[in-house]
Amino acid sequence: MPETVFEPWNDPAANPLIQFRNVTKRFGDFTAVDNLSIDIFEKEFFALLGPSGCGKTTMMRMLAGFETPTSGTIMLDGQDISPIPPNKRSVNMMFQSYALFPHLTVYDNIAFGLKRDKLPPDQIDARVKEMLRLVQIEKFGQRKPEQISGGQRQRVALARALAKAPKLLLLDEPLSALDKKLRQDTQFELMDIQEKTGTTFVVVTHDQEEAMTVASRVAVMDHGKLKQVDTPDRIYEAPNSTYVADFIGDVNIIEGHGKAQGDTMAISWAEGQPPIIGTPSKPMDDGNVSFAIRPEKVAISAERPADRNNVVQGKVLDIAYLGNLSTYHVQLPSGIVIKAQTANSRRRASRPFTWEDEVWLSWTDTAGIVLER
Amino acid sequence: MRRLTWFNATSLTLGFAFLYIPMIVVIIYSFNESRLVTVWGGFSTKWYGELLQNEAFLDAAWVTFKVGFFSSIIATILGTMGAYVLVRGGRFYGRTLFSGMIYAPLVMPEVITGLSLLLLFISIGLDRGLFTIILAHATFSMCYVSVVVSSRLVSFDRSVEEAALDLGCTPFEAFRLVTLPIIAPAVISGWLLALTLSLDDLVIASFVAGPSATTLPIKVFSSIRLGVSPEINALSTILIGLVTIGTIMASLSTKRAVMRRERAERMAEQAG
Ligand SMILES: Nc1ncnc2c1ncn2[C@@H]1O[C@H](COP(=O)(O)OP(=O)(O)O)[C@@H](O)[C@H]1O
Ligand SMILES: [Mg+2]
Repeated sequence: MPETVFEPWNDPAANPLIQFRNVTKRFGDFTAVDNLSIDIFEKEFFALLGPSGCGKTTMMRMLAGFETPTSGTIMLDGQDISPIPPNKRSVNMMFQSYALFPHLTVYDNIAFGLKRDKLPPDQIDARVKEMLRLVQIEKFGQRKPEQISGGQRQRVALARALAKAPKLLLLDEPLSALDKKLRQDTQFELMDIQEKTGTTFVVVTHDQEEAMTVASRVAVMDHGKLKQVDTPDRIYEAPNSTYVADFIGDVNIIEGHGKAQGDTMAISWAEGQPPIIGTPSKPMDDGNVSFAIRPEKVAISAERPADRNNVVQGKVLDIAYLGNLSTYHVQLPSGIVIKAQTANSRRRASRPFTWEDEVWLSWTDTAGIVLER
Repeated sequence: MRRLTWFNATSLTLGFAFLYIPMIVVIIYSFNESRLVTVWGGFSTKWYGELLQNEAFLDAAWVTFKVGFFSSIIATILGTMGAYVLVRGGRFYGRTLFSGMIYAPLVMPEVITGLSLLLLFISIGLDRGLFTIILAHATFSMCYVSVVVSSRLVSFDRSVEEAALDLGCTPFEAFRLVTLPIIAPAVISGWLLALTLSLDDLVIASFVAGPSATTLPIKVFSSIRLGVSPEINALSTILIGLVTIGTIMASLSTKRAVMRRERAERMAEQAG
């Protein structure tokens, strides 16, 4: 069977599972979600990413039915869901606080939703056991939530939300309570479970690494607005604004005046310096622009490289050693500081550069992206 | 264990003496053979026997029990419902006013509550008796229940109720299956408080009680005015005994709850 790429968002014939159409949510005169439209497709692992307070939880709560949009419509499977109460929606939520029922055992927590559906007892039992196995907490079925650890509670919350096999599972900062190591392991487990169950996941996070790891597509939000919706690699490689470029990973931003030059753009950025050549994120007119380049795309050398258009000279200001990587902060004569990252492939290799060294920074014409300002 | 200092030991002794000597005196005199309070006539349990023969006291005790039982149940149901609406009902018009008003009866002097209830019952032509006492007690103790229950509702995570809705409960099922079991300890405390208040009450009951029904506190109070009788001492001793047993059971169950929680924490740690 040929491996087909999962990209329903590029398929004009695909019907989205969820559609936000110009959804706005106000609390009093505060706008938490601002005229937002997105399509989310079946079997996607969709991440909502943004700083705290940008309206991510509010979006989830509108999907689950705990808040109603002030204006606009939300469609699930082509049907407007606003008149449907939370208990009638085929959507389940894993709450940020887990919200386990403290008076019920782990088993009964997971069985809770199934019992509401009045399924026969043996079917409920089989499903609960399946869920316990899926999230690997078979041993703790008879315990109360207070008798298990934080990581296990999070698994119970996941199992409980998955038990009813919803069309859509909402996860609100599912891993924020875990420490880094456990969080990474759990991210992969989540992806695994998502694949196994084929459920559509919408996950909220303020951790960009997490979003990049788990998601098929990432929506970057700011103050209730969508900044960009794209695959993790596109978000990283082709951000459409300095906000997105800056929010995801590390980036150098240089401001200047751009002039189109065929496919590329020449940016004059400092007196007496040759222009920087970059690739525009979209066709754009001449004018004020920002040039964004990731530190790992900036090469650092002692000699002036001969084969590149983009070459600047500067002085090493600071060095951050991160184990596998080193980041050099290089100050240019104009005062701008540019970060350049190199991989430390050899152990204990003596550093090629040290503080105050005069170095050359260079990058290719396609390494950096030109953004409108 | 730290040893008590001389000062602490004295404070403790004096404080407890102040609290308990009057009760001890009552208990001792309830076993006094002599009818005279001031004379010790030897040990006897005869007053207990006489008490059990005294129809008036037994009737009053039975009325008190019935009033306590029914009024505390009504107060618990109404108080819990009120607390739920005030805490969870969202921001409806006049909510702040209602929240404030629920506390008002707590600070209202009892004579005023009693008097206003009396006037109400007279004006609607309700005959005073068992029923009016039950209504009056339910009215004032309901506020206490509501205060106890709302403090519990405020402190527990709203999303637990939302999770129940999310998993397919109707709002009423979510209340019955999730909210109520979680706030049950507060509801039970509220109920015990309402019961105690009702058993205790003299002032309000004396306004709204009629010739057909007298509560024990009213009966005791009116017979004291004719002189202290040893039967009253016996009755008091029985009540002290009941209260003591109740308190010990309550503190034992608290202790068990603490131990259960500690065990749960240990299990959670081991679960890793
Ligand atoms: N029920 C509410 N009433 C008033 N303001 C709210 C309410 N819920 C959320 N907000 C506000 O909306 C904004 C977005 O909140 P939220 O969606 O929880 O953000 P986050 O992206 O951190 O999850 C916040 O500023 C918050 O204060
Ligand atoms: Mg949030």
